[in-house]
Amino acid sequence: MKKIGIFDSCVDTPEEIILAADFVPYRFFSDPTVEIDKVNEHIPPTHCMWTRNLLEQAINGLDKDIIGIIASHGCDRTNREFDIWIECINLDFMFFLNTPLKNDETALKFFINDMKELIFQMEEYFNLKITPANIKEAIRKMNQIRSFLKEISEYRSKMILKGSEFHALVKYAQTQDKDEVLEKLSSKLEELKNKKPFSNDDLKKILLTGSDIDDTELIKYLESLGFHVIIDDLGVGTRYFWNRVDENDEPIRALAKYHLNKPIYSTKFPSYKRFEVLKNLIENYNVEGVINIAQKFCEPVLYDHPYLSKKMKELGIPYLFIEVTYNRESYKQLSTRFSAFAEIISR
Amino acid sequence: MSEKKTKKTGKMLNATYGLKNIMGRHFLAIEQAFREGKPTAWATSGSPVEYLYVMGVQPMLPENSATVAAAQKYSKNFIEIAEDEGYSYDLCSYFKTNVGAVVSKAEMSKGGTRKPTFMLSTDVICDTHVNWFQVQAERFNVPHFTLDIPHVVSNTNKRQYDYFKKYVQEQLHGLVDFIQEVTGNEYKEEKAKEVINNSWDLSMVWQDIYNLRKEIPCPISTRDTFGGLFPLFCMPGLKEPIKLYKRMYKEAKQRVDNGIGALKQEKYRLMFEGIPFWHSLKFFSVLEQWGAIIVYEPYTYAFSKYMNPNVTKEYLLSNPIDAMSELLLSFWYVYDLKTRIKKFAETVEQWNIDGVILHENLSCRPNSCGLYDLKRHLMDDFNIPCLIISGDMNDPRKFNDLQVTNQIESFMEILEKSKKR
Ligand code: SF4
Ligand code: SF4
Repeated sequence: MKKIGIFDSCVDTPEEIILAADFVPYRFFSDPTVEIDKVNEHIPPTHCMWTRNLLEQAINGLDKDIIGIIASHGCDRTNREFDIWIECINLDFMFFLNTPLKNDETALKFFINDMKELIFQMEEYFNLKITPANIKEAIRKMNQIRSFLKEISEYRSKMILKGSEFHALVKYAQTQDKDEVLEKLSSKLEELKNKKPFSNDDLKKILLTGSDIDDTELIKYLESLGFHVIIDDLGVGTRYFWNRVDENDEPIRALAKYHLNKPIYSTKFPSYKRFEVLKNLIENYNVEGVINIAQKFCEPVLYDHPYLSKKMKELGIPYLFIEVTYNRESYKQLSTRFSAFAEIISR
Repeated sequence: MSEKKTKKTGKMLNATYGLKNIMGRHFLAIEQAFREGKPTAWATSGSPVEYLYVMGVQPMLPENSATVAAAQKYSKNFIEIAEDEGYSYDLCSYFKTNVGAVVSKAEMSKGGTRKPTFMLSTDVICDTHVNWFQVQAERFNVPHFTLDIPHVVSNTNKRQYDYFKKYVQEQLHGLVDFIQEVTGNEYKEEKAKEVINNSWDLSMVWQDIYNLRKEIPCPISTRDTFGGLFPLFCMPGLKEPIKLYKRMYKEAKQRVDNGIGALKQEKYRLMFEGIPFWHSLKFFSVLEQWGAIIVYEPYTYAFSKYMNPNVTKEYLLSNPIDAMSELLLSFWYVYDLKTRIKKFAETVEQWNIDGVILHENLSCRPNSCGLYDLKRHLMDDFNIPCLIISGDMNDPRKFNDLQVTNQIESFMEILEKSKKR
């Protein structure tokens, strides 16, 4: 099946529109094993490691089924690097979706217009029709996926499902054919219903926040140090499924509203509201500590960190801020800091 | 290069000395506003400062204050204070200078700023502007209005541009309502006309000055433009800076008429992309030792804002919100890559430029992004010698004097060779 690649610093791209065109939405993820080389001719080494990695992979060659790319306005990286993608990638369909910074009525109206333009350009370029009925159907499908993921996510706090396993599942949902995703999620749920909790005596129950961490190995590494990601507010996590799209509203409007009202990321305004999201999760999930991981040079998260640190202190919850480079070897160098944090939680 | 060699050779216009007075008046106006209890606002560069003047709000531009701190060698200290607060080594040094200055309650003459009534930011240039003001609005507990400007990319079409414009227009109306709500001051059409008229005139004289830089020898160096830029930031809408710019123009024109250049001997004409290193302005004197003069800086030109041929004075006066929306979408400093390359090539041609120096600014990722592709295109497609130097506009720790000087030396050799060809 043909795919539309998604270059998105979070999960702001309305996948339903892609589904309604009968394509598979395929979010680009980084690959820490990729050797960084060609991208050095385009993006300075002191810019976000994550987007550099994505472009390196794209220059090396995209999946042959990818017939177009949608980039969504997130941080300065997606905004500015999109033009470089146009330079480097030999694809005719490249669309920049200006997902708004704010979430008021004006922004909503604008976002609806921008989505309509996306639809118009897809219809014209691929010579197809994206009807409201198709979008509605896609919304229903995506809502089903969201419900499944939300239910499955709870098995993390029931100490039945590992955070890393869940993380891999969300990544799967963002890259694969959605019917296959539905099947996989439904059988996973059945499996979990019959599973017993694992022993959790020494596990430190943490909330994971920060940049959109997409390397499952990093979560596994945290687990190897005795942490259990009980909940998160990531795009490769709860932000992807926490809310539902209103199935009764006009579909494009419903999609726009959904995206503007989902739990906020550091790329949107006012990003300090992210603390409210975290606070709710901390209280509802008996979180013992918060780990905030920033990709190296991730400005939105770097700006928010001192505020979050202050607010977490006020809340009396242990908080650890870590910057990671895109290299698995480097995770190990962080072990002392993680272990010290585990000790703080144990006290 | 020896210390001796870096003595100043470029001649600054006499009129430019008047800048000190003008900026002094700006700071006095801020003090006066505080004394009289008049509303004040912080604004980021690229935001429509004119609206503040229209609505009786005294603007303050923390970026401007940050450069004051750097030029006086205070920025490093302020930056380190911000880093102690948890702001990363990798974040924008303007932002960190401002945080440090506020935390240490620095005087305005040293780069400090006062607590404003409210803050106005936009994401037109960078995310930092929005994040920066969020940080400081929380610290001061003041309201913050931000304008979200859609990003025009290499393949944005006319239809998109139209609804982008509507979006910006609506937000500008929202801004007027916001200011009214916070200050009680009203938007008056007559005042708007006066401010916009002045802002337009100010920019036009600046553009006239810039056009004189096309002349060989170039009558004006960065000594005049780097500082001369600030009224465009802080005082668009006032009369005084127009007079100053007119004096600068007149003097520069006299130089042109008499064949006098800012340099005794002009050998190479350069373009400088990016923000200057405010902490090491002597770097620009080093260039002059080689007979190289910078005749164009997109940074100082961009802020003359009225560069879009669709936005005429009549349009601005008859429909200011509409026209301002168009300007916010077509700002030189944030051109998409394709337009940026084209604009650079045209500028090189029009200003008779021999080479381009591109500042890979470690603080300013938005501006550094695309620099490598820009350089490649200028070199490969237009045969323009280019040099990328890495540094930071406000953080002297990120500027390697020796390395940059060596790079410049090699670049001058390249220019020499390409001139001989
Ligand atoms: S990691 Fe941070 S800087 Fe990089 S794309 Fe994501 S939000 Fe932007
Ligand atoms: S230097 Fe760059 S990042 Fe910093 S405020 Fe200016 S435009 Fe933004």
